[in-house]
Amino acid sequence: MPQRVNGVMGAAAALDYDAELMLRVKDGDGASFALLLEKYRASVTHFLYRMVQEQAVSEELAQEVFLRVYRSRETYEPTAKFTTWLFRIATHLALNWLRDQKNERGQERLDESVEDAPTREVADRSPSVEQSMVHRVKVEEVRRAVAALPEKQRAAVLMHKYEEMEYSQIAKVLSCSESAVKSLLFRAYETLRVRLAHMA
Amino acid sequence: MNCPIKTHENTDWLLDYSAGKLNADRTTLVERHMETCPDCARFVEGQRAVWSALGRWEPPAVSADFNRRLYQRIDRARPASWLERLFRPLQPLWRPVVPLAAACLLMIAGVALHAPEPALHRNSSQARIESIEPEQVERTLDDMQMLRELALTPQQEQTTPKPM
Repeated sequence: MPQRVNGVMGAAAALDYDAELMLRVKDGDGASFALLLEKYRASVTHFLYRMVQEQAVSEELAQEVFLRVYRSRETYEPTAKFTTWLFRIATHLALNWLRDQKNERGQERLDESVEDAPTREVADRSPSVEQSMVHRVKVEEVRRAVAALPEKQRAAVLMHKYEEMEYSQIAKVLSCSESAVKSLLFRAYETLRVRLAHMA
Repeated sequence: MNCPIKTHENTDWLLDYSAGKLNADRTTLVERHMETCPDCARFVEGQRAVWSALGRWEPPAVSADFNRRLYQRIDRARPASWLERLFRPLQPLWRPVVPLAAACLLMIAGVALHAPEPALHRNSSQARIESIEPEQVERTLDDMQMLRELALTPQQEQTTPKPM
Protein backbone atom coordinates (compact mmCIF):
# COMPACT_ATOMS: atom_id res chain seq x y z
CA MET A 1 0.00 0.00 0.00
CA PRO A 2 1.47 3.38 -0.91
CA GLN A 3 3.09 5.50 1.79
CA ARG A 4 0.77 8.44 1.09
CA VAL A 5 -2.26 6.34 1.89
CA ASN A 6 -0.84 5.32 5.26
CA GLY A 7 -0.06 8.93 6.08
CA VAL A 8 -3.52 10.20 5.27
CA MET A 9 -5.15 7.33 7.07
CA GLY A 10 -3.17 7.98 10.22
CA ALA A 11 -4.34 11.56 10.24
CA ALA A 12 -8.01 11.22 9.46
CA ALA A 13 -9.90 7.98 9.53
CA ALA A 14 -7.34 5.56 10.79
CA LEU A 15 -9.83 3.00 12.02
CA ASP A 16 -12.13 3.17 9.03
CA TYR A 17 -11.16 0.20 6.90
CA ASP A 18 -13.64 1.31 4.23
CA ALA A 19 -11.86 4.62 3.86
CA GLU A 20 -8.65 2.65 3.46
CA LEU A 21 -10.26 0.61 0.70
CA MET A 22 -11.46 3.80 -0.94
CA LEU A 23 -7.92 5.17 -0.91
CA ARG A 24 -6.82 2.03 -2.68
CA VAL A 25 -9.54 2.63 -5.26
CA LYS A 26 -8.07 6.10 -5.63
CA ASP A 27 -4.75 4.44 -6.44
CA GLY A 28 -6.40 2.41 -9.19
CA ASP A 29 -7.27 -0.78 -7.30
CA GLY A 30 -10.49 -2.02 -8.87
CA ALA A 31 -10.69 -4.99 -6.51
CA SER A 32 -11.10 -2.64 -3.54
CA PHE A 33 -13.99 -0.96 -5.29
CA ALA A 34 -15.56 -4.38 -5.84
CA LEU A 35 -15.19 -5.07 -2.10
CA LEU A 36 -16.89 -1.81 -1.16
CA LEU A 37 -19.65 -2.50 -3.66
CA GLU A 38 -20.19 -5.99 -2.27
CA LYS A 39 -20.24 -4.67 1.29
CA TYR A 40 -22.65 -1.78 0.79
CA ARG A 41 -24.72 -2.68 -2.28
CA ALA A 42 -27.59 -4.11 -0.25
CA SER A 43 -27.66 -1.50 2.52
CA VAL A 44 -27.54 1.43 0.09
CA THR A 45 -30.19 -0.08 -2.19
CA HIS A 46 -32.44 -0.98 0.75
CA PHE A 47 -32.07 2.47 2.28
CA LEU A 48 -33.01 4.00 -1.06
CA TYR A 49 -35.90 1.59 -1.47
CA ARG A 50 -37.32 2.61 1.89
CA MET A 51 -36.84 6.26 0.95
CA VAL A 52 -38.42 6.20 -2.53
CA GLN A 53 -40.45 2.97 -2.17
CA GLU A 54 -39.98 1.88 -5.78
CA GLN A 55 -37.60 -0.97 -6.48
CA ALA A 56 -36.50 0.03 -9.98
CA VAL A 57 -35.89 3.61 -8.88
CA SER A 58 -34.01 2.53 -5.77
CA GLU A 59 -31.66 0.36 -7.85
CA GLU A 60 -31.16 3.11 -10.39
CA LEU A 61 -30.30 5.56 -7.62
CA ALA A 62 -28.05 3.03 -5.90
CA GLN A 63 -26.15 2.60 -9.17
CA GLU A 64 -25.79 6.34 -9.37
CA VAL A 65 -24.41 6.37 -5.81
CA PHE A 66 -21.69 3.84 -6.65
CA LEU A 67 -20.99 5.51 -9.96
CA ARG A 68 -20.43 8.79 -8.12
CA VAL A 69 -18.21 7.05 -5.60
CA TYR A 70 -16.13 5.63 -8.45
CA ARG A 71 -15.97 8.92 -10.31
CA SER A 72 -14.93 10.79 -7.16
CA ARG A 73 -12.13 8.36 -6.35
CA GLU A 74 -9.39 10.69 -7.57
CA THR A 75 -10.47 13.54 -5.32
CA TYR A 76 -11.46 11.37 -2.35
CA GLU A 77 -10.05 12.36 1.03
CA PRO A 78 -10.99 10.39 4.17
CA THR A 79 -12.19 13.37 6.17
CA ALA A 80 -15.17 11.41 7.54
CA LYS A 81 -16.26 7.81 7.83
CA PHE A 82 -16.74 6.21 4.44
CA THR A 83 -20.35 5.30 5.25
CA THR A 84 -21.10 8.92 6.16
CA TRP A 85 -19.92 9.98 2.72
CA LEU A 86 -21.71 7.07 1.02
CA PHE A 87 -25.05 7.73 2.72
CA ARG A 88 -24.68 11.44 2.18
CA ILE A 89 -24.60 10.78 -1.57
CA ALA A 90 -27.50 8.33 -1.28
CA THR A 91 -29.62 10.70 0.81
CA HIS A 92 -28.89 13.60 -1.50
CA LEU A 93 -29.98 11.56 -4.53
CA ALA A 94 -33.10 10.27 -2.79
CA LEU A 95 -34.16 13.71 -1.59
CA ASN A 96 -33.60 15.14 -5.08
CA TRP A 97 -35.64 12.36 -6.64
CA LEU A 98 -38.47 12.83 -4.14
CA ARG A 99 -38.44 16.56 -4.72
CA ASP A 100 -38.62 16.05 -8.50
CA GLN A 101 -41.45 13.56 -8.08
CA LYS A 102 -43.33 15.95 -5.85
CA ASN A 103 -42.95 18.67 -8.44
CA GLU A 104 -44.09 16.38 -11.23
CA ARG A 105 -46.90 14.41 -9.70
CA GLY A 106 -47.61 15.72 -6.25
CA GLN A 107 -47.87 13.51 -3.25
CA GLU A 108 -50.33 10.97 -4.64
CA ARG A 109 -47.61 8.45 -5.56
CA LEU A 110 -47.02 7.72 -1.91
CA ASP A 111 -50.63 6.74 -1.52
CA GLU A 112 -50.65 4.28 -4.39
CA SER A 113 -51.68 0.69 -3.98
CA VAL A 114 -49.62 -2.16 -2.61
CA GLU A 115 -48.94 -3.54 -6.10
CA ASP A 116 -46.94 -0.47 -7.04
CA ALA A 117 -44.65 -0.82 -4.08
CA PRO A 118 -43.57 -4.43 -3.82
CA THR A 119 -42.45 -5.54 -0.43
CA ARG A 120 -40.68 -8.65 0.66
CA GLU A 121 -42.11 -9.93 3.83
CA VAL A 122 -40.46 -11.81 6.59
CA ALA A 123 -41.63 -15.33 6.08
CA ASP A 124 -43.13 -17.09 9.04
CA ARG A 125 -42.28 -20.76 9.39
CA SER A 126 -45.65 -22.00 8.21
CA PRO A 127 -47.98 -19.06 7.95
CA SER A 128 -51.61 -19.66 7.22
CA VAL A 129 -53.32 -17.61 4.53
CA GLU A 130 -54.88 -15.47 7.22
CA GLN A 131 -51.55 -14.91 8.99
CA SER A 132 -49.91 -13.98 5.69
CA MET A 133 -52.65 -11.49 4.92
CA VAL A 134 -52.41 -9.92 8.37
CA HIS A 135 -48.68 -9.67 7.96
CA ARG A 136 -49.05 -8.04 4.53
CA VAL A 137 -51.48 -5.49 5.91
CA LYS A 138 -49.14 -4.67 8.79
CA VAL A 139 -46.16 -4.26 6.50
CA GLU A 140 -48.21 -2.03 4.24
CA GLU A 141 -49.20 0.11 7.20
CA VAL A 142 -45.58 0.48 8.22
CA ARG A 143 -44.65 1.40 4.65
CA ARG A 144 -47.35 4.06 4.49
CA ALA A 145 -46.48 5.45 7.90
CA VAL A 146 -42.83 5.82 6.92
CA ALA A 147 -43.79 7.27 3.54
CA ALA A 148 -45.92 9.89 5.23
CA LEU A 149 -42.99 11.22 7.27
CA PRO A 150 -41.33 14.41 6.06
CA GLU A 151 -38.35 13.40 3.91
CA LYS A 152 -35.60 14.43 6.31
CA GLN A 153 -37.31 12.69 9.23
CA ARG A 154 -37.73 9.62 7.05
CA ALA A 155 -34.03 9.59 6.14
CA ALA A 156 -33.08 10.02 9.80
CA VAL A 157 -35.33 7.16 10.95
CA LEU A 158 -34.07 4.83 8.24
CA MET A 159 -30.44 5.53 9.06
CA HIS A 160 -31.12 5.20 12.79
CA LYS A 161 -33.22 2.07 12.68
CA TYR A 162 -31.88 0.06 9.73
CA GLU A 163 -28.31 1.29 9.32
CA GLU A 164 -27.79 1.67 13.08
CA MET A 165 -25.91 4.91 12.56
CA GLU A 166 -24.93 7.12 15.47
CA TYR A 167 -26.54 10.52 15.92
CA SER A 168 -23.30 12.28 15.01
CA GLN A 169 -23.06 10.35 11.75
CA ILE A 170 -26.69 11.02 10.81
CA ALA A 171 -26.06 14.68 11.57
CA LYS A 172 -23.14 14.74 9.14
CA VAL A 173 -25.18 12.98 6.45
CA LEU A 174 -28.04 15.43 6.84
CA SER A 175 -25.75 18.43 7.33
CA CYS A 176 -27.27 19.47 10.63
CA SER A 177 -26.34 19.43 14.29
CA GLU A 178 -26.52 16.35 16.49
CA SER A 179 -29.20 17.94 18.67
CA ALA A 180 -31.23 18.71 15.53
CA VAL A 181 -31.03 15.02 14.59
CA LYS A 182 -32.20 13.94 18.05
CA SER A 183 -35.10 16.32 17.82
CA LEU A 184 -35.86 15.16 14.27
CA LEU A 185 -35.88 11.53 15.38
CA PHE A 186 -37.95 12.20 18.45
CA ARG A 187 -40.65 13.89 16.37
CA ALA A 188 -40.51 11.21 13.68
CA TYR A 189 -40.89 8.36 16.17
CA GLU A 190 -43.68 10.24 17.89
CA THR A 191 -45.57 10.41 14.59
CA LEU A 192 -44.91 6.73 13.94
CA ARG A 193 -46.08 5.82 17.44
CA VAL A 194 -49.40 7.53 16.81
CA ARG A 195 -49.85 5.89 13.41
CA LEU A 196 -48.70 2.44 14.42
CA ALA A 197 -50.01 2.39 17.99
CA HIS A 198 -52.66 -0.20 17.15
CA MET A 199 -49.99 -2.64 16.02
CA ALA A 200 -48.55 -3.02 19.51
CA MET B 1 -32.84 12.96 35.91
CA ASN B 2 -35.18 15.47 34.24
CA CYS B 3 -38.15 14.05 32.37
CA PRO B 4 -37.09 13.76 28.71
CA ILE B 5 -40.64 14.21 27.49
CA LYS B 6 -41.39 17.32 29.52
CA THR B 7 -38.01 19.00 29.09
CA HIS B 8 -37.01 17.55 25.70
CA GLU B 9 -33.61 16.82 27.22
CA ASN B 10 -31.97 13.48 26.67
CA THR B 11 -34.75 12.26 24.41
CA ASP B 12 -32.12 10.07 22.76
CA TRP B 13 -31.78 8.19 26.05
CA LEU B 14 -35.39 7.08 25.75
CA LEU B 15 -34.91 6.13 22.10
CA ASP B 16 -31.73 4.21 22.83
CA TYR B 17 -33.26 2.56 25.89
CA SER B 18 -36.23 1.39 23.78
CA ALA B 19 -33.82 -0.01 21.18
CA GLY B 20 -31.73 -1.71 23.87
CA LYS B 21 -28.70 0.39 22.97
CA LEU B 22 -28.30 2.50 26.11
CA ASN B 23 -25.29 1.93 28.35
CA ALA B 24 -25.73 0.42 31.80
CA ASP B 25 -25.40 3.63 33.84
CA ARG B 26 -27.99 5.51 31.82
CA THR B 27 -30.26 2.48 31.71
CA THR B 28 -30.41 2.53 35.51
CA LEU B 29 -31.28 6.24 35.48
CA VAL B 30 -34.02 5.82 32.86
CA GLU B 31 -35.56 2.85 34.63
CA ARG B 32 -35.56 4.69 37.94
CA HIS B 33 -37.22 7.68 36.26
CA MET B 34 -39.87 5.55 34.57
CA GLU B 35 -40.96 4.16 37.90
CA THR B 36 -42.38 7.59 38.70
CA CYS B 37 -43.13 8.84 35.17
CA PRO B 38 -46.00 7.10 33.34
CA ASP B 39 -45.49 9.34 30.26
CA CYS B 40 -41.97 8.08 29.73
CA ALA B 41 -43.04 4.51 30.45
CA ARG B 42 -45.78 4.85 27.83
CA PHE B 43 -43.30 6.39 25.42
CA VAL B 44 -40.92 3.47 25.79
CA GLU B 45 -43.72 0.96 25.34
CA GLY B 46 -44.94 2.70 22.18
CA GLN B 47 -41.43 3.12 20.87
CA ARG B 48 -40.74 -0.59 21.29
CA ALA B 49 -43.88 -1.34 19.29
CA VAL B 50 -42.73 1.02 16.51
CA TRP B 51 -39.28 -0.51 16.55
CA SER B 52 -40.77 -3.96 16.21
CA ALA B 53 -43.19 -2.86 13.45
CA LEU B 54 -40.36 -1.30 11.46
CA GLY B 55 -38.48 -4.55 11.78
CA ARG B 56 -41.22 -6.33 9.83
CA TRP B 57 -40.62 -4.25 6.73
CA GLU B 58 -38.02 -5.89 4.56
CA PRO B 59 -37.11 -4.51 1.16
CA PRO B 60 -36.93 -6.70 -1.96
CA ALA B 61 -33.64 -8.37 -2.80
CA VAL B 62 -31.25 -6.48 -5.04
CA SER B 63 -31.37 -7.60 -8.68
CA ALA B 64 -28.83 -10.24 -9.66
CA ASP B 65 -27.49 -8.14 -12.53
CA PHE B 66 -26.90 -5.03 -10.40
CA ASN B 67 -23.10 -5.26 -10.59
CA ARG B 68 -23.10 -6.00 -14.33
CA ARG B 69 -25.24 -2.94 -15.03
CA LEU B 70 -23.11 -0.80 -12.75
CA TYR B 71 -19.84 -1.83 -14.42
CA GLN B 72 -21.41 -1.16 -17.82
CA ARG B 73 -22.22 2.36 -16.65
CA ILE B 74 -18.71 2.77 -15.30
CA ASP B 75 -17.28 1.67 -18.65
CA ARG B 76 -19.49 4.13 -20.48
CA ALA B 77 -18.41 6.88 -18.12
CA ARG B 78 -14.71 5.98 -18.58
CA PRO B 79 -12.70 8.98 -19.78
CA ALA B 80 -11.65 8.79 -23.45
CA SER B 81 -8.06 7.97 -24.44
CA TRP B 82 -5.85 10.66 -25.99
CA LEU B 83 -6.41 9.11 -29.43
CA GLU B 84 -10.19 9.28 -29.02
CA ARG B 85 -9.92 12.85 -27.79
CA LEU B 86 -7.70 13.74 -30.76
CA PHE B 87 -10.16 12.48 -33.33
CA ARG B 88 -13.29 13.58 -31.50
CA PRO B 89 -13.58 16.97 -33.31
CA LEU B 90 -13.44 15.14 -36.64
CA GLN B 91 -16.11 12.66 -35.70
CA PRO B 92 -19.02 14.66 -37.14
CA LEU B 93 -17.15 14.78 -40.45
CA TRP B 94 -16.04 11.21 -40.86
CA ARG B 95 -18.93 9.54 -39.12
CA PRO B 96 -21.30 9.72 -42.15
CA VAL B 97 -18.43 8.80 -44.46
CA VAL B 98 -17.90 5.42 -42.84
CA PRO B 99 -21.25 3.86 -43.82
CA LEU B 100 -20.96 5.44 -47.26
CA ALA B 101 -17.51 3.95 -47.78
CA ALA B 102 -18.74 0.61 -46.50
CA ALA B 103 -21.63 0.71 -48.97
CA CYS B 104 -19.26 1.54 -51.83
CA LEU B 105 -16.95 -1.30 -50.86
CA LEU B 106 -19.87 -3.69 -50.77
CA MET B 107 -20.98 -2.58 -54.21
CA ILE B 108 -17.47 -2.99 -55.63
CA ALA B 109 -17.16 -6.40 -54.04
CA GLY B 110 -20.54 -7.36 -55.44
CA VAL B 111 -19.61 -6.26 -58.92
CA ALA B 112 -16.26 -8.05 -58.71
CA LEU B 113 -17.84 -11.27 -57.59
CA HIS B 114 -20.71 -11.30 -60.02
CA ALA B 115 -19.12 -9.78 -63.15
CA PRO B 116 -19.00 -12.30 -66.11
CA GLU B 117 -15.32 -11.57 -66.72
CA PRO B 118 -14.01 -15.15 -66.80
CA ALA B 119 -16.69 -16.10 -69.32
CA LEU B 120 -15.72 -13.18 -71.54
CA HIS B 121 -12.10 -14.21 -71.42
CA ARG B 122 -13.01 -17.76 -72.22
CA ASN B 123 -15.17 -16.72 -75.17
CA SER B 124 -12.60 -14.35 -76.58
CA SER B 125 -9.82 -16.94 -76.43
CA GLN B 126 -12.12 -19.51 -77.92
CA ALA B 127 -13.00 -17.09 -80.69
CA ARG B 128 -9.35 -16.33 -81.24
CA ILE B 129 -8.60 -20.04 -81.43
CA GLU B 130 -11.49 -20.50 -83.76
CA SER B 131 -10.31 -17.70 -86.05
CA ILE B 132 -6.73 -18.94 -86.04
CA GLU B 133 -7.54 -22.61 -86.52
CA PRO B 134 -8.23 -22.76 -90.34
CA GLU B 135 -5.05 -20.87 -91.12
CA GLN B 136 -3.02 -23.14 -88.89
CA VAL B 137 -4.56 -26.23 -90.44
CA GLU B 138 -3.87 -24.88 -93.88
CA ARG B 139 -0.30 -24.04 -93.02
CA THR B 140 0.20 -27.41 -91.41
CA LEU B 141 -1.11 -29.13 -94.52
CA ASP B 142 1.25 -27.07 -96.65
CA ASP B 143 4.15 -27.98 -94.43
CA MET B 144 3.27 -31.64 -94.63
CA GLN B 145 3.07 -31.43 -98.39
CA MET B 146 6.42 -29.76 -98.54
CA LEU B 147 7.99 -32.38 -96.30
CA ARG B 148 6.53 -35.13 -98.39
CA GLU B 149 7.99 -33.58 -101.51
CA LEU B 150 11.34 -33.19 -99.88
CA ALA B 151 11.28 -36.78 -98.80
CA LEU B 152 10.38 -38.01 -102.28
CA THR B 153 12.98 -36.05 -104.18
CA PRO B 154 16.17 -37.95 -102.91
CA GLN B 155 14.45 -41.30 -103.43
CA GLN B 156 13.70 -40.43 -107.02
CA GLU B 157 17.32 -39.29 -107.42
CA GLN B 158 18.53 -42.64 -106.02
CA THR B 159 16.24 -44.81 -108.20
CA THR B 160 16.96 -42.99 -111.45
CA PRO B 161 19.81 -44.88 -113.35
CA LYS B 162 22.89 -42.89 -114.20
CA PRO B 163 23.44 -42.40 -117.89
CA MET B 164 26.29 -44.50 -119.23
